[in-house]
Amino acid sequence: MNNILKYLRKGELALFIIFLIVFIIFSFSSEYFFTLRNIMNVSGQLSIILIAAIGFSVLLIAGEVDISIGSLLAFVSLPLIEIMNITGSVPLGIILCLIFGIIIGLINGYLSVYLGVSSLIVTLGMLFILRGAVYLYTGQRAIPDELMSDFFFYIGNGKFMGTIPYAAIIGLIILLIFIFVMRNTSYGRKLYAVGGNQEVARLAGYNIKLLKLSAFVICSFLSSISAIILASRIGSANHVAGDLFEFQVVAAVVLGGVSLAGGIGSLTGAAIGVLILSVISNGLGLLNIDTQWQLVVNGVIIIIAVGFDELKRNRSL
Amino acid sequence: MKIVSWFLAAIITLSLAMSISANPKRIGYIVNYGTHEWYQNVIFGLQSRADELGIDLEVMDANLDINKQTQQAEDFMTKGVDVLIMTPVNEEGVVPILRKAKAEGMPTVLEGNPAKGMTTLFAICDYDAGYKAGDAVGRILVSRGESQARVMDVGLPLLSATLLRSLGFMEALAQHVDAVKVHELDGSGMIDSSVEVASAALAADSNINVIYGINDGSALGGLQAWRAAGLPEDDLVVAGTGSEGLAFLNEMTKEGTPYLVEAAMFPEGVGYTGMNLAVDLFNGVDVPEHKVTPTLALTVHNFAKYYDFDKAGQKRAINFENVAKIPTETKCTKYSSDL
Amino acid sequence: MKYFQTNESILFGLLVLLCIFLSFYNPQFYSIQNIHSILRSSSTVMIVAFGMTILLTSGEVDLSVGALMSFVTVIVMDVINITGSISLGLIAVFGFCLFIGLINGLVRTVLNVNSLIATLAMMLILQGSVYVYSMAAIYNTHLIPLFSFIGQGFFLNIPMPVVIMLFILPFFVVLLNYTRYGRYFSSIGSNPDAAKLSGINNNRYKVIGFVITSLLVGVSGVILASLMDTGQQGSAKGFELIVIAAVLLGGTSFMGGKGTIIGTILGILILKIIDNGIILMRIPQEFQLIVPGFILILAVYFDGVRKKNSG
Repeated sequence: MNNILKYLRKGELALFIIFLIVFIIFSFSSEYFFTLRNIMNVSGQLSIILIAAIGFSVLLIAGEVDISIGSLLAFVSLPLIEIMNITGSVPLGIILCLIFGIIIGLINGYLSVYLGVSSLIVTLGMLFILRGAVYLYTGQRAIPDELMSDFFFYIGNGKFMGTIPYAAIIGLIILLIFIFVMRNTSYGRKLYAVGGNQEVARLAGYNIKLLKLSAFVICSFLSSISAIILASRIGSANHVAGDLFEFQVVAAVVLGGVSLAGGIGSLTGAAIGVLILSVISNGLGLLNIDTQWQLVVNGVIIIIAVGFDELKRNRSL
Repeated sequence: MKIVSWFLAAIITLSLAMSISANPKRIGYIVNYGTHEWYQNVIFGLQSRADELGIDLEVMDANLDINKQTQQAEDFMTKGVDVLIMTPVNEEGVVPILRKAKAEGMPTVLEGNPAKGMTTLFAICDYDAGYKAGDAVGRILVSRGESQARVMDVGLPLLSATLLRSLGFMEALAQHVDAVKVHELDGSGMIDSSVEVASAALAADSNINVIYGINDGSALGGLQAWRAAGLPEDDLVVAGTGSEGLAFLNEMTKEGTPYLVEAAMFPEGVGYTGMNLAVDLFNGVDVPEHKVTPTLALTVHNFAKYYDFDKAGQKRAINFENVAKIPTETKCTKYSSDL
Repeated sequence: MKYFQTNESILFGLLVLLCIFLSFYNPQFYSIQNIHSILRSSSTVMIVAFGMTILLTSGEVDLSVGALMSFVTVIVMDVINITGSISLGLIAVFGFCLFIGLINGLVRTVLNVNSLIATLAMMLILQGSVYVYSMAAIYNTHLIPLFSFIGQGFFLNIPMPVVIMLFILPFFVVLLNYTRYGRYFSSIGSNPDAAKLSGINNNRYKVIGFVITSLLVGVSGVILASLMDTGQQGSAKGFELIVIAAVLLGGTSFMGGKGTIIGTILGILILKIIDNGIILMRIPQEFQLIVPGFILILAVYFDGVRKKNSG
């Protein structure tokens, strides 16, 4: 327990307490909330946002942003499903999906870092372009998974030993890997430096452009993994998938204390941010509270949490 | 001894019979877009019938988020409702949910569009609804002595259902007059987008005499664009679809309006029928694959038979009995697979 | 030569090229009706974009404008229906917008929440609470002709929304170009510390920027309600992205400090004419998403290249 506390640094501890409070409130107010089945369900459900949020946080820490991830979710599921349907091979589809993700990350990164266009604008443009391309390619019809392989179905829907969703396991592994990378490798520290203070990073002789480019690729790559899980859960490459996904991810990550200014924040925090918003969504749903109220509650929580965080940070300065 | 076993047998038979006719206690409904008037009225219909039968209806709104809908289905399975009713955000996107529900042994009913692996569906026939509106508009044009229909179709290519409506409308119109589709637009099913795209289209070519909207917002958006362009309304006929809410009643009851026809789909009736279907499915009654719900071309002359419209109070009350009397197809003339 | 290096002249050139191309393709492009249609749909965007230009210039952004706009259509229709008075409807709308703008500004300045997040949260809150206000769309039951005139009418053969926009425009051109306040906004955005040292109350101007933007949303919302003849929840979907994309295209920087109203107007006209052209040319409407995406990236890229060359 002590180790856990030490691990959760101050800001994250506050977030974790918020999470616990939310968790306890729902446990008392809904008989279905604190059941093994529901908790396992939520852990599977949140993995889609979690995995993308990890990539998004890495990119934010490196001082850049990618708001095209929602459109990317819909876009990269096209090669996934199409290749699976044509070749009958799930791995081939997955590989191509990830390659497409990497390519989009490279394009976003190249335009932002090497051509110097603000990443917010590049990815805003990309948001429109990718979504439009999906509409054009599909003629606004979802492409169904005709292979119906059990393996692909289980990625997003199956449970290990009938209990733990595979999606949750994938999410947890990715989270642990990237927590390690960002905390314990020189690459991670360089990303913090690049996002926090470019001048210092430049003087230290880091290849800023390459580092930033790599963060773009990580973001798109991880979002593509989210896309695979989502495609499995909805059994199709769907033109309506991922609409406004970027807002959900931004909200969770910023709630988790990752700063839009770059260089500040941790993946643990981001993960807790995802946990909080996902648990709230699940709990309110179980209590039959309208989606409209869920929007209001989410908005208020974001303002309070981020505002509280900022006030604290300012006071400590 | 013999009497006792007879008695036991009687009890068993009786309890079996009772369990067959016993209604489900809790039914969950995941609506795709719960804030839309159409779905509010579908929910009203579901709730009306649930109240009559003493069933507890729980509603979750996916708010057009396909990922959220999947999560909500899992949540309803956790809650263990007796029947799950769903309006898919996208019909391809619910195939895994249906597979999971089947594995759980949870009966599912779909509203709207068929999906692979489903048991039963309640929905209107989109093609036939559009056809009925087209037929009514065709008659009006003929009575005005016109030989040509030049149509602005404020559509929604996103959905096969709405494409079917447009198709039915045009094919019925062609039975009466020479029908030409001058504009084929994507108004997103929203009044504001429809105003915008229709304005541009009318600027390109305003030589039309029929506006068809795949829902009420699209039809009204088209009409509003016509008005904002300052065009004369005398020879125009506007037809909408859905009888979603108050919009068409407000417009249709205005003096001198060109909004003459509404392909009514009676959402309250859809919900009412759907609840009956869910109960039947739960009780093991043989259910059809597609339970068609009534549609009809409404005009200012016949709407009062089906809707009691209180214009001042902005309320409408459906007459379930009269809606149930509308002759209804057993099968649609065309499905999305025919597109 | 130097004249042609300004961002506005490049945008203007692009606009002219677009117009020439479209008029060759379809002579209907120059019909009075089409020009009316383009200008009418541009003016609601422009009115809000004036405020957004100020905000972006001062280094802030407001993502809640679309959600607020749809809320405004509901409020204005409902209040006029109930009271039968347009003035009361307008008072309710502008009171509400003032309130929302103040909250946005105060959350930004007092709680110090990044405006991207603060207004994203406000967007969620407004999107949800508009349905708490009324689940059903509000239809025009008051039937006051003056109200329909606001969005649908003509004054001297100019659509009323355009007239309203033209009425508001000079205030902002003067404000940004010919008063010290304009300089304040841009210095807050480009160099907040220096602005503070020179005695400018950064926070006060930021709050003013949010309030102005919200009030302008009120104006556009009333026009939209009149145009739709309905108070419709969920209308103006994605409006914030269109406004922001147009302002950025117009040369305002997301990092603050630089922005012109003329650039913004040109940006909006370009995007709207592309939209219009896609319908006029009967190209699949999906391109209404793709083309602006490309243009946005290209425009900002060339802007950067030009600055590099000249600097």
